Amino acid sequence: MGHISLRGVWKKYYRGERHDSLRDLVPALAARALGRQKRDALGKQEFWALRDISLDVKPGEAVGIIGPNGAGKSTLLKLLTRILRPTRGEIEIQGRVGALIEVAAGFHPDLTGRENVYLQGAVMGMTRAEISRKFDAIVDFAGVPEFIDTPVKRYSSGMNARLGFAVAAHMDPDVLLIDEVLSVGDVGFQEKCVARMREMIARGVPLAFVSHNLTAVVDLCTRAILIDHGVVRAEGNPAEVVSEFRRGRRADNAPTGDGPIQITDVRLLQADGEVSPLFQTGKAMTIQVHYQARQPVERPHVAIDIHTADGTYCAGINTRMDNCSLGTLEGSGHVDLVTPRLSLLPGCYSISAGILDPQGLRPLDLHARAYPFTVVSTRRDFGFVYLEHEWRHTATDPAVAAARDAADEECAV
Amino acid sequence: MFKLPEPLAEQWSYRELLMRMTSRDLVLRYKQTVMGFGWAVFMPLVNTAIFSVIFTRVTTVDVGVAYPVYAFSGLVIWNFFASSLRFAVNSLTSNPSLVTKVYFPREIFPFSAVLVSLVDLAVALLVLGAVMAWYHVGIGWSIVALPLVILAAVMFTAAAALVVSMANLFYRDVKYLFEIVIAVWMFATSVVYPVGRVGGRLGAALALNPMTPLVEAFRDVVINQRFPGTEFMVMATVSAIFLAGAWAAFHAAEFDFAENL
Repeated sequence: MGHISLRGVWKKYYRGERHDSLRDLVPALAARALGRQKRDALGKQEFWALRDISLDVKPGEAVGIIGPNGAGKSTLLKLLTRILRPTRGEIEIQGRVGALIEVAAGFHPDLTGRENVYLQGAVMGMTRAEISRKFDAIVDFAGVPEFIDTPVKRYSSGMNARLGFAVAAHMDPDVLLIDEVLSVGDVGFQEKCVARMREMIARGVPLAFVSHNLTAVVDLCTRAILIDHGVVRAEGNPAEVVSEFRRGRRADNAPTGDGPIQITDVRLLQADGEVSPLFQTGKAMTIQVHYQARQPVERPHVAIDIHTADGTYCAGINTRMDNCSLGTLEGSGHVDLVTPRLSLLPGCYSISAGILDPQGLRPLDLHARAYPFTVVSTRRDFGFVYLEHEWRHTATDPAVAAARDAADEECAV
Repeated sequence: MFKLPEPLAEQWSYRELLMRMTSRDLVLRYKQTVMGFGWAVFMPLVNTAIFSVIFTRVTTVDVGVAYPVYAFSGLVIWNFFASSLRFAVNSLTSNPSLVTKVYFPREIFPFSAVLVSLVDLAVALLVLGAVMAWYHVGIGWSIVALPLVILAAVMFTAAAALVVSMANLFYRDVKYLFEIVIAVWMFATSVVYPVGRVGGRLGAALALNPMTPLVEAFRDVVINQRFPGTEFMVMATVSAIFLAGAWAAFHAAEFDFAENL
């Protein structure tokens, strides 16, 4: 079984465009000839994307890598896949690397599914014999047996991704690298993917998992690291690192406090009025936006946005669109948004709160995605939104209908 | 135990991918075009017709054999070189998702461009056989040296392919510059007329062109029933060194590719 080991890895990047045209070559060569560019020094256009990262992933470990956008997560993964080379430091990876990244990168639209499976397999380093042996399993996993001899340009993007993932999932790697694959395909397929990942972890394949899906990180990983601005800010138990990440976000978005009005706090209240980060689908939730006005603010608007932890925009509500006037805000107080039956399904979400000018255009104060909360439920629907519903069945065959008439089926939920 | 240098060992472990990429391009050409492999011989045939008119009707040049056989044989091997490079120059830049997202030895792109053209060369050789039969040009024992000549051509072409594909990735001017260079280079090589006839300083400069010994060696073994001489041997050795150098340079720069695409 393989392992991943990083020792003091640094990676330098160039901001903006590099010389792509010959006319830029001469100044670049001149600079190099004069020896101004030292390997460790930073030029004007350069910055450290990663600074002094050390990480070990041993057999049986699954390490989740989380952090805000632009923190260096993808760079780290590219270093692990050997697409990039570190500026300083050492990376050692033992064994065959399986990367569930761009699983359909090798696909060509004009080739059939079958041809693409062989091509993508070869891209991932499999031999022809190995692909042939696993071919049926791959096609079966992807669930596209009837289209395997159709050019993939006729596939839906979901089918494409499924077939790519299926190839990757069958390569029996010694080390597994994953980037956000859980967004592939429909729910049924995602479950298959997660099952496959668990199976590999259980077999002891070391796993590095980069994701915005914090729930999945807590769920799948044995350890997590939090990267921010290129450095490791926290490492350890996934649940703790994830909550550290959430706290950090809040601090980043601390109000500037120079407007006429400030949001001092946003409190999330359960049905019984208790402040809690935990809510239940179908139960009441109150979002309290507390403010402090330095001077009277006439007819401002309050806006609330809800995003999933991985950034999908779920809801945007504001008083302006609801034609609700708050009058003039003076001193301190709070504006409450009450939803009697929370229609979000289980998952991790975050709230943004803002106070806007009367036109609803300019924010006077804004706390972006600063307030996380978790929804739990016994409901097992898929997606983000819980639709209140009931099922009805009507048989149109008269004989059957007569027999059923007595016991009319209806199940309200 | 003898250990292969890292780039070679890596290339060997990814041999399946090299074959797949090559067959991908061949299959695609078959699927996307009506003429398929016909294109491999169409261009040299058209050029042969054009230059036959120029060099037999407008002016004459003594080449020691029926002119169309001379021109076609030259164009066949030249075309292998030129079309390999034409595919190679864009090979890295036209596969951005593979270059920036997945790791494998990037030499695969220029190398598969060369292999695709090598298949075309095989097809063109059959047509050359037909042209020779038509003009009653026989083949002799020297044909056994053909694999050696083709090996040298492959080495030289592969080295140039590595250089142009890499250069175009860093500087996109290269693909435009390439078209000019390749057009001039053809007339600086004994493809459609013997450049040995050019005298003076220009002639001396042209004598340094490594493609001329290659094209002439090809003609020698196929149509002139002669074994290649020392000039070719020198050229083959230079090709091998050029390939080793180009490969090492390519391998060293490989990690910068993803950042420059």
